[in-house]
Amino acid sequence: MSGSGSEGEADLTPVLDMVFQLITFFMLVINFKAASLDMTLKLPVIGSARPVDMKGTTELLILNINKEGKINVYGIPHDAQPYIKGEAMSSLLKAKLEKPTLKLGDELPTMVVLRADGVTTFNLLYNVIKLCQDNGYRRFAMRAMNRDE
Amino acid sequence: MSKKKRKPPDDVKLNLAAMLDMAFQLLTFFILTFKPAPVEGQVELRLPPPAPVTGAVGGAKAGADDKNTDVTESLDSLIISVFSRPSGKAATYAIGEGNVDNLGVLQGRLQGIFQDPNSTFKQVIIQVAPALHYSELMNVIDVCTKTKFADGKSLTKLSFVELPGDVPGQ
Repeated sequence: MSGSGSEGEADLTPVLDMVFQLITFFMLVINFKAASLDMTLKLPVIGSARPVDMKGTTELLILNINKEGKINVYGIPHDAQPYIKGEAMSSLLKAKLEKPTLKLGDELPTMVVLRADGVTTFNLLYNVIKLCQDNGYRRFAMRAMNRDE
Repeated sequence: MSKKKRKPPDDVKLNLAAMLDMAFQLLTFFILTFKPAPVEGQVELRLPPPAPVTGAVGGAKAGADDKNTDVTESLDSLIISVFSRPSGKAATYAIGEGNVDNLGVLQGRLQGIFQDPNSTFKQVIIQVAPALHYSELMNVIDVCTKTKFADGKSLTKLSFVELPGDVPGQ
């Protein structure tokens, strides 16, 4: 009596199904904008900081200000003045699509998000704010942690 | 001539190994790029460029403007001063020319001023020492944004001015 040895083949369908579930989860939670946040900065902790609600805001300019007053862009420090000027030109060109009469120095619809280290001195921060104001930015959001991590 | 009988085709089996391999590649990509967003809050402010405190146009003579019946209209700003230690921590606070010991007292005084129905203050100007740390400034902003007017509205008009001085180490 010879038993025909059928090869045991694992059914991969449930494994594939689980993998697709995981892929779908990570696709839904992926946040490319978080890459522009510099996690090396230790933000201050205040209780009245409201959770970020960007509904209705079309454009953000995120400025990660380090202790030396430079702007960290994807980990590389940049001088504030040329960087903000360049971003302002870019924001102006985008805003001109909706409002062609806009010119340099007019109020820009972009909101400037200031993320500064807790030990950044005010004069460095104020320098950045003045540069933003000179280039047309009027709306600011100062970021802080709701609670200590 | 005998016709060769064709065997019926066997069931087509789909090899899922290749698809599973690709799925694992995608999953690895998303796992490696997954970065949980930090729980951050923000305080939204509108900061126009600094403007003269008085309503008078530069160079205008007194009484020249017949339409201006309230020259003190722009003088409705409450000035809060924050002085710092060389370390960057807040040393003392002041409302106008009156010293305030700590943030708790500052909050109480602000509340008293803005809750007064006869108060004419509509905005707060914060004079900040250049060496003050951002965390200390946010504490003051926190106190200001918690202040409410007599009608229940929150204080939203804030602006900053830098006090003269040097920053140690800069």
